Amino acid sequence: MSVETTTESAPVPKKGMNILFGLILLGLLLLLWLLLGIFTNSFWTPNNISNLLRQGAMTAILAVGQTFVIITAGIDLSVGAVVGFSSVTIAWLLQAGVPLWPAMALTLLVGVAIGAFHAFGIVRMGLPAFIITLATLTSLRGIGLLITNGSTISISNDGFTDFSRADFLGVPSLFWMVLVVAVPAYIFLHLSRWGRYLFAVGSNSEAARLSGVNVNRTIYLAYILSSTCAAFVGLLLASRIGIGNATQAEGWELQAIASSVIGGTSLFGAVGSVHGPLIGAFILATINNGANLLNVNSFWQRIITGALIIIIVYVDQLRRRGSR
Amino acid sequence: MTGLHDISQLHTAGHPVAKGQPILELRGLQKKYGAVEALKPANITFLSGEIHAIVGENGAGKSTLIKLLTGVIRRTSGEVYWCGQSVQLATPTEAISRGINAVHQEVVLCRHLTVAANMFLGDEMQAKGLMRQRAMTDAAQVVLNDLGFNLPAAALLSDLTIGQQQLVATARAAMRGTQFLIFDEPTAYLTRQESAQLFRLIRRLQNEGVTIVYISHRMEEVFELADRVSVLRDGTHVGTRLIGETNDAELISMMINRTIEQIYHKEHLPIGEMIVETRGLSGPGFENISLSVKAGEIVGLYGLIGAGRSEFALGLYGRQPLSAGEIFWQGNKVTIGNERKAMDLGIALAPESRRDQGLCLNLPIGLNINLPIFDRLTSGLTINRRREIENADKQISDLKIKTPTRRVLASAMSGGNQQKIVIGKWLSHGAKLFIFDEPTVGVDVGTKAEIYRLFARLLEQGAGIILISSYLPEVYELSDRLHVFRQGKLVASHTYRSASHEEVLTQAIGV
Repeated sequence: MSVETTTESAPVPKKGMNILFGLILLGLLLLLWLLLGIFTNSFWTPNNISNLLRQGAMTAILAVGQTFVIITAGIDLSVGAVVGFSSVTIAWLLQAGVPLWPAMALTLLVGVAIGAFHAFGIVRMGLPAFIITLATLTSLRGIGLLITNGSTISISNDGFTDFSRADFLGVPSLFWMVLVVAVPAYIFLHLSRWGRYLFAVGSNSEAARLSGVNVNRTIYLAYILSSTCAAFVGLLLASRIGIGNATQAEGWELQAIASSVIGGTSLFGAVGSVHGPLIGAFILATINNGANLLNVNSFWQRIITGALIIIIVYVDQLRRRGSR
Repeated sequence: MTGLHDISQLHTAGHPVAKGQPILELRGLQKKYGAVEALKPANITFLSGEIHAIVGENGAGKSTLIKLLTGVIRRTSGEVYWCGQSVQLATPTEAISRGINAVHQEVVLCRHLTVAANMFLGDEMQAKGLMRQRAMTDAAQVVLNDLGFNLPAAALLSDLTIGQQQLVATARAAMRGTQFLIFDEPTAYLTRQESAQLFRLIRRLQNEGVTIVYISHRMEEVFELADRVSVLRDGTHVGTRLIGETNDAELISMMINRTIEQIYHKEHLPIGEMIVETRGLSGPGFENISLSVKAGEIVGLYGLIGAGRSEFALGLYGRQPLSAGEIFWQGNKVTIGNERKAMDLGIALAPESRRDQGLCLNLPIGLNINLPIFDRLTSGLTINRRREIENADKQISDLKIKTPTRRVLASAMSGGNQQKIVIGKWLSHGAKLFIFDEPTVGVDVGTKAEIYRLFARLLEQGAGIILISSYLPEVYELSDRLHVFRQGKLVASHTYRSASHEEVLTQAIGV
């Protein structure tokens, strides 16, 4: 009796496909770099590469946090606003004379609190993730503007602002921060039971609950991680621009979601990785950077990003359908 | 003649094939997925106006055949003749336009629309570009009344039971001038009365000249309804028999290629000590339930769908809050506030709906199996990958889950194998009390027998089982004690075979 025929749709094991998809993304990124190296003189200059790594780093960290939420079949629209709000928080704390390290810790704690609030709204108040995070998106910008009275707070702490310009082993320190986030994120999502729970909740929260998974705690965890990543990016951004301003990082939530989706995360939940969004973020950063170098109207960058999302998600759909 | 007839006349272009003549012929129809032959070249002829049953174990190729006939997938080779003409059946639209339709086991309708809106979905009555809501509701009501379904056409579909939704789906297909209607395990979720209504409808459609293909695991339904029966096994069409010239023993042996002397293994084991006892347990959907389970016994809960059995199970498992009553676990009073607490005590629940409650369908089999025990598989911060793989592979081989690897998604498995994944999950975790809620719905005969043998094994190991089933022969033969539920209350209790089928059924219906 042949055994395989009994799985009626004869599926192909997924692991090889996922590695393939990751390699295709990486190939796309390298191809972009190669093409930009050929068609521009300034792409492969140390200055430009550093710039690219710095810009991509912040999107990448946001995208990793966002991915945790999307895997649970949720969405976090607030991350851009959290970045802006965190830049205000750290600037305000430093201005008030709080020492640097406690100020940074407090800023991250504000991120934790915002994430906990999102999860509270979802779990206890029964609000859709889309709504509660949309609400904080606009409210946080408002609170930030109230604190700063609509202007900016400049940061005079040189140690803090020098960090973003510093290099370590010839690589921008901001890029090292990606690794600081990505390595624990990888362990969390792919190697720990909490990662498995995120996938299970995103796939079928009732089945997860009946299997003993604490669904509410898992949702808290996902949103707290996303907001904390965003607060961390807020610190990096404040260090980079030397000011706190609530209107910074406008639209970064879409960059983060786009990076995540380009990296293979399914907006329906239960599909995603840590490495995918990282590559996705650098693909987006490369497109923006390349468009600048090629003197393409910056409005085109937005159009290209949109088109890229459609193409990659469509290809991914075909891949899933094909393997069924 | 009747409302149904009037409306079907709107769509039916008449029957070009005389009753008893071939209406649909499959010649060497084959489907391959890569190297795997899901359906080996099959020659089956369906005669106009017959009820043609198709039986086979899970994975025998029934689903593949339905998908081919309804245009959901395309064949690899072979030909299909519809009314004598070669046809492609390349898309669902083509199949429907030729009059081929299917009613699926899981209802695929819009839950937030009314019954009438669902029946007319995609084919709405219009006047000047606007929908004629009132006319559609009235027309739908006429059809429903005429079919003897006691359903309001203006009700929201989500307010109906699954069984009632199934009837709506059938009525919908019936009024679209369907000439060839495929039923895929239609009675899986139906109560006995609903099944009877459905059978009346099927016979009536047959009288009007509709050809019926009826797929079922339930032999008694096949013998009650069908004119002819075809058997599939491992993607092969084993044969077709006139119903009068065969019997269930022959069909089962054709299906599984090995004789099952008896599907039911009732072994009376010595009854051990008390595992759980409920006293006056009440909660949403059940009231004042007092029962107990001892080691080595199966306690059956029988009743119609919605009688409160599943709700009681969820209450005992900590999923639903309790409003009154006490639970004693091995003699000690306990409160079970959440699912984890129930699991820690030693309760396992294989829930009613595999799709909604049992499985994370778009995740791998291995993850599903290990889901309750990831805390145990964790050492330090991370999961011990080797033990994770070992446990998944152990359950897959112990339970004979038919998959090439643990990485296959649960959604790709057939009903019986999905049920085995749910069971594997709880065998990984281990428990003293296993609650199985409708464990054999949509499961083939061979897997059923395996599940029953598994029950015996669990009992031998000192566990107790609560078996919830709407299939009376099953719960009747397996249970040491049988409790009958009706409208949230426990209305009768019997020891093994101390009451007749008729008595039990009467108590469940409450006539």
